[in-house]
Amino acid sequence: MKIGILSKRTGNFTGKIKLYLEKNGHAVNIYTANNLCINDALLVNDFYILKSKHLFYLYAGYFLEANNVPVIPSTGISYRHKNRIESYFSIKNTNLLLPNVFMGTIDTLKVQLKKNDLPLISKPIFGSGSKGVKIINSFYDFNDIDEKSLYLEKFIEGTHYLVYFIANEICICEKIPLANEHGKVKIIHSDGEIEEYIMKWKNKHNLLFGHLDLVRDNNTDKLYVVDAGTFPEFSNWKRGNPVSKVCNLILDRYQQIKNKTE
Amino acid sequence: MIKIGIIIDKYHLQKKSLKLIDYLSSIAKISLYLEEEYLIDYSNFNFNEDIFFIKAKGDLILNLIKLIERETDIPVINPSRGIWLAINRFLNSTLLRQSGIRVPNFALNTKGILPPFNDYIIKNIIDQKNYAFKAQIKKINGYLKVADKRALDEVNGEKAKYTYLYYQEFIKSKWEYKVYCIGDDLFYYKQLPLLVNFDKMKTRTIIKKIPELTEMACAATEAIGLKISSIDFLKSKDGNFFLTDINSSPNFNYIKNGPKIIGDYLIKQAKN
Repeated sequence: MKIGILSKRTGNFTGKIKLYLEKNGHAVNIYTANNLCINDALLVNDFYILKSKHLFYLYAGYFLEANNVPVIPSTGISYRHKNRIESYFSIKNTNLLLPNVFMGTIDTLKVQLKKNDLPLISKPIFGSGSKGVKIINSFYDFNDIDEKSLYLEKFIEGTHYLVYFIANEICICEKIPLANEHGKVKIIHSDGEIEEYIMKWKNKHNLLFGHLDLVRDNNTDKLYVVDAGTFPEFSNWKRGNPVSKVCNLILDRYQQIKNKTE
Repeated sequence: MIKIGIIIDKYHLQKKSLKLIDYLSSIAKISLYLEEEYLIDYSNFNFNEDIFFIKAKGDLILNLIKLIERETDIPVINPSRGIWLAINRFLNSTLLRQSGIRVPNFALNTKGILPPFNDYIIKNIIDQKNYAFKAQIKKINGYLKVADKRALDEVNGEKAKYTYLYYQEFIKSKWEYKVYCIGDDLFYYKQLPLLVNFDKMKTRTIIKKIPELTEMACAATEAIGLKISSIDFLKSKDGNFFLTDINSSPNFNYIKNGPKIIGDYLIKQAKN
């Protein structure tokens, strides 16, 4: 098959996917910000893997789906998990706990938030992981921010987890608060509540793989979802080779889509 | 008395909506949600309006509408999906073409890679801010290359936001046609294109209904999901109309009795 990968990088997990698929007889092209042109020329591939969720790649995904070329994971789900507000409603509709969320201009936030709303964590509205994330401990911290408006979440003091899933396999990692996916982690062998959260999330959105970032509140022991992602790098996955598992799930999903449309 | 929430920014409040608010104040109870002053608290809200009218398209506005749409059954005009599609040129071009509506050829290309057509206009990726089109016009080997300065700034400027450009094939047209859609009521105008006359509003005239434009405008508003909009068309040399722009926040003051027409429409669409 001819397979396209929409990705900001050619190496890392994307590079490994390409190698694996090529070894299995497929022709694979990676489309990055250096060579992506979204027009009919993209329609040559049988399907696409949507690795990166920056707007440019999402545009490509929407264009491909509008032209009946399958995109895995789907563009809609990738967008909903990348956009913080869409993600907020997705988590809420899955009946999982999540922190309070506020949005407003800097001036509005300074004037209208209450002292007991702090500490807060500011995150880019379109993003995932720890990039661009900042803790707001006092109203003075707003003075250092060069944005007109902000998305803010209540900061939960507690134990932070990065939890991967591939099909029904789950890998739970305890991590340093606000560290990215690639940082040092401690593997947790089992946690019933976390596993329940993951299966609810996966089944509700019909996901093949992905991750959730969770925090267990030190004071209440409640478990909150603070981030979701459709396609992590699986840097800390400790349950065998994630590349073959992910690729085989993608190939199976493509066959299912193809069988449905035939 | 019907309660109408108006979600708006300062610019649209001061420059575009005073007559509407004046009219609505005489027939409904108005509450203003100003983008610059409203704190969105997703876990603590209480909306008791019968309808919301949106007159802006910033991120805060879109995310406030999403809260209302997901947590209440209050009608919102225009809905967040329609506004999002209208401001995203590439998305609306894709969706309109998929819906069978004639749009010019378009491409979204990494900077430095030209589109597969010769005459083109570069437009901004997301048409969200309150500023006007500033044309840069070049003719190279007989082909017209037009670019909106703000689109180029977003790629080449100091605070570049994108690495790619939206290209739309340039349609040479004597007139630009504009259709305002307010529910099922359509209002038709024509004017000289901006590149011919920078003061195009001075050339605007009311025209009779053109059935082809009616069909295209209705199909477009249905596909994008807009209840109130303005839509621009150009007519090619071979007589085909092309939809070139769709706007979710039209200036209804240009229509005779526009504020009253909008106000009466909102009252009709209100809950109960």
